[in-house]
Order: sequence, then structure tokens, then C-alpha cells
Amino acid sequence: MAIIQSGSFTANGSAQVIRIRSDFDMIRVLNFNAGAQATDDLGYEFYFQRGMTNGRGMLYTKLGNTEANNTVTFGEIAANAGFTILDTSGSPLAALNAVGGANEITAISNAAIPVATNSGANGLVAGDVVRLYTVTNAGQLNGFDFTVGYNTLSGTTFSLDYMSQLAVAGTTAAWRKIKWDPIYYPRHRYITSITSSGSSSVIKLSVTHGYKVGQLVRVLVPAIYDMVEMDNLVGTITAIDTTPTSGNTITVDIDSSSFTAFAFPSAADYAAAGSAFSKAMVVPIGMDTAEALSASVNELSDATFNDGFIGVSLAAGTLSPAGQNNDVIYYEAIKNDITVNP
Amino acid sequence: MGVALRQTEDQLTANMLAATAAQINCVNGSNGDNPTELTLADVNNVTQTLLGNNAKMFLSSIEGENKFGTAPVRNAYFALCHTDMTSQLQNVDTFIQQSQYPNQQRVLDSEWGAVGNLRFLVSSIGYIEQNASALNANVYDIFCVAQEAYACIDQDGASTQFIYRPAVYSGPLALNVTVGYKFAEVPRILNDAWVLNLRATLA
Repeated sequence: MAIIQSGSFTANGSAQVIRIRSDFDMIRVLNFNAGAQATDDLGYEFYFQRGMTNGRGMLYTKLGNTEANNTVTFGEIAANAGFTILDTSGSPLAALNAVGGANEITAISNAAIPVATNSGANGLVAGDVVRLYTVTNAGQLNGFDFTVGYNTLSGTTFSLDYMSQLAVAGTTAAWRKIKWDPIYYPRHRYITSITSSGSSSVIKLSVTHGYKVGQLVRVLVPAIYDMVEMDNLVGTITAIDTTPTSGNTITVDIDSSSFTAFAFPSAADYAAAGSAFSKAMVVPIGMDTAEALSASVNELSDATFNDGFIGVSLAAGTLSPAGQNNDVIYYEAIKNDITVNP
Repeated sequence: MGVALRQTEDQLTANMLAATAAQINCVNGSNGDNPTELTLADVNNVTQTLLGNNAKMFLSSIEGENKFGTAPVRNAYFALCHTDMTSQLQNVDTFIQQSQYPNQQRVLDSEWGAVGNLRFLVSSIGYIEQNASALNANVYDIFCVAQEAYACIDQDGASTQFIYRPAVYSGPLALNVTVGYKFAEVPRILNDAWVLNLRATLA
């Protein structure tokens, strides 16, 4: 047995991904704050070993509100609230939630930020990415990926945070979670809206974009989106908005004030196109060094790199290994010489 | 081991192209999905786009000869795709099977045939986007590339090494021999206007 990696981090209330330099067999996590403070019912030590159910693990919970002589319980972490093994060389697709199934989407609203309602329990966290299929009354969303949950999130609802308002609400749909991005950066992204802003254009993207000021992008806008004047133009990103609830935009130095207004295809457009069209998208093509330097951005940050990894995701929460906001978390990942599982 | 190395390089390159390259969906088919199956109109659309971007074709034309059952082949860009597309290609209008080329001396090993100005090279590790279509079907990425569209760049001092370790290095009882390879390389699009990802489903 060898400890191949150990470390610590300060929790921010969200799930934490730990990249482990080589595959691991066991992982132990200690929540320092939970162990040290006098508060009821906090998970303070967590453990996962290969062979346990992915997404779970074991935990020690401290009961009572005094540090000395606290009663401790030991049990299994709740489903999807523990350790999830990640390996980006595998498929990024989670299981399909089919129409007619336990967790199908039953409605997608026409609110300013569309909200999907599902039966069952979606198990999503804010910032997850979801792909939609076979959306009734809103087929233009089929095959699109969306970041979800920053505006509305419960076990039966999640917001499509960066999607523009639907004219006609959708009804049933199938969906699945996309567990990670394509492994290579920089990545192309799909456009949900373009608005003119003086001599610039503000482009909103359906999934958290990850772009930086100074990057050069080519904007592709098929005719179904109306703003054909924008198609194939190259612009420099002069500003980004990463506000989780309302942002996810890039501002490019393209003057679209005289262009035809951008319109995400409607259900009628989708039907008229024979249910097939190419998506409007942003393609990263390089870096404007001067712009990057003026914004104190590393001018090499658009370099192609393989972001693939193996590791583990720690769920957040009082009874989860990534703890609560500002908790200090210690971990050690262990590799065994021999592991025998049935 | 050599096959594994080159397939790994190809997979990494395909991953990069799939993540970064501009996309065009096949829209002229009739299977009701988005994208549709591949058609001649989609091939012509890609060719027109690449020509409009001044992309230079890889392969010169193959002139017709006085041989029954053969047909001349146009100068062409490469179209790199998965072997699952082979049956689909057979059904595309004006498809010319590579066995029908008038001159077999210029046929590439992995070449399946030609449609218009695209010559299709197939591989079992061609890129598939799992369950990415509107109807939850697999989407097949056909990377249509021109000359100097992308490159694979080796890191200085880290070119591919095949490493063989005799048993004497494995421990006191010399039980195990190991062989492996390592390399440091990055694929990068050189001109985004000269490579297009034509996405298609099966009919």
C-alpha cells in the first residue's frame, strides 16, 4: 500500500474534483472543521474503496454538540452524496432519463430562463451539464447541451441557465447528464443569443464557456438563426461575464448593430427546416496577444492542451466529503499493490 | 505496440478535432434526425465551404481510363470517419468505391471511396459522439481536412521512445519483462477555416 497523493483544500460549498496522478484504490477524507467544532451531526471522516457503490462511501458522523465524548455513528453515505470516480478517457454520458421513465422531463417552461420539470429525482447540482432529446413542442432544443441549476434547482426542477426564452413551452423530453467536457481545450461552444452592444457584440453560450479575454474566435451563424451577417466573422474577446446565474457571455469586437437580429430557432423554424439544422457556434482560433497582455491574461492560455484526468469528485454537504463552505478538508489517496474484489 | 502507439496518436488528434473544429450538420437526409444521414448535397456543401476558404486539396484527380466499371475521381480533400460509415457511404449518390478507381496505384490503404471532392478514409477508431443527435442516436464525425489544416507537434526532446526492460530490471528474481512507449505530442488546428467536422447519423 502506498499513499500516492495527499493534500488539502478549503471548501466552497460546491462539489470538489481532485485529480489524482495515477489510479487509486482507496481515499480517506478528514473534515477538520467538522471534527473540531461543537455542532451537531457533522460528517467528519469519510472513506471510499473500489468495490463500493460509485457516488457513495462510508462516513463517521459526530453527534451531539460538545467536542468531548461525542457519540459517533458510522454508516454509508447517501446516494450521489459521496465519492464519484472520474476517468475522462471513458464516456461522459450518464444514464438516459427516457420519456415515460422515472425521471423524464414533463415540462420546459417559457419563462425568461426556461425551467425544466422532471418526475422522480434529478440528482443534479448547480453547474451540471444536461443534454436534451425529443422535446415535444420545442424540438429545436434536441441534442443541445445546457448548463443547469444556477437559477432554479430542486429534485424536480432545474433551470436551463443560459437558454433564451421559449415562445412555446416544451412538454415531455428525455435527458441525460454530461459528466465532463471534451478533454481538449480550447473548445467550441454553441450560441443561444447574440446582442449588439455599441460597436461590440455580446454572445451567450449554452454551456459554461471557459474562454479568456484576448482569445480570437470565429462566429458561425447558419441562416436559421437570422443573423447571417455575423456568419464566419472573426472577433477578439474583449470581455467575459462568468456570473453563474445570468452571465456566461463573451463580448467580441464585432459591430452587429446593423445586422439582422439574432433569433434562436423556434419550434416552427425547426419543423420548416425538416428537423435538421447546424448550430450557431463559436470556434476558438487563436490569441490576440496585445489584447491578452492589456488584460493581464497569459498570452499562451489559449494553447491546445489535453485536460483529461483521472480522479474523484467529492460531493458537498454536511454529510458529504467536501463539507460546507470554508471547511478545511484533508485527503489522502492510496494505491494498493494487490486488490482483490469479487 | 507500434499499432497501439499510432492509434493513440490518432485518437488524441480526433479528440482535439471533435472538441475544437467548426461543425456542419448533415441536413439533407430523410431519417428525421438532426443531423441526418450523409447525402451528396451535404458533401457539396462542405466542399463549397472549404473552397470558399481557399483550402487546398490533398489529392489530385485520377483520370478516367478505358476500363469497364471504373470512373474518374476528382481532386479531393480527405474525409476521416469511422468504419460504421462504410455501409452509409455505399448509399450516397455518385459514390465511387475505391475498387472502381481507374488507377489503383494511388489508392490509400484505409481509403473506402469517393463522393464528389471528398475521399473517405475509414478507421475503427474514427470519432463517434455517443448519443449526441436529436433522437439520442450516435453522431459520426467526418473530419474534412485540407492541406495544412492541422498538425501534430512533437515536444523537443520527447519524441516517441520504445522502452524495453529485460527481466533483470524487474526485481531480484528477474520475473517480468516490460515493454512500453511514451511520447509528448500535441495536435493543433493551424487554420480553422481549412477543417470542418461534418456530423452525420446513420439512415
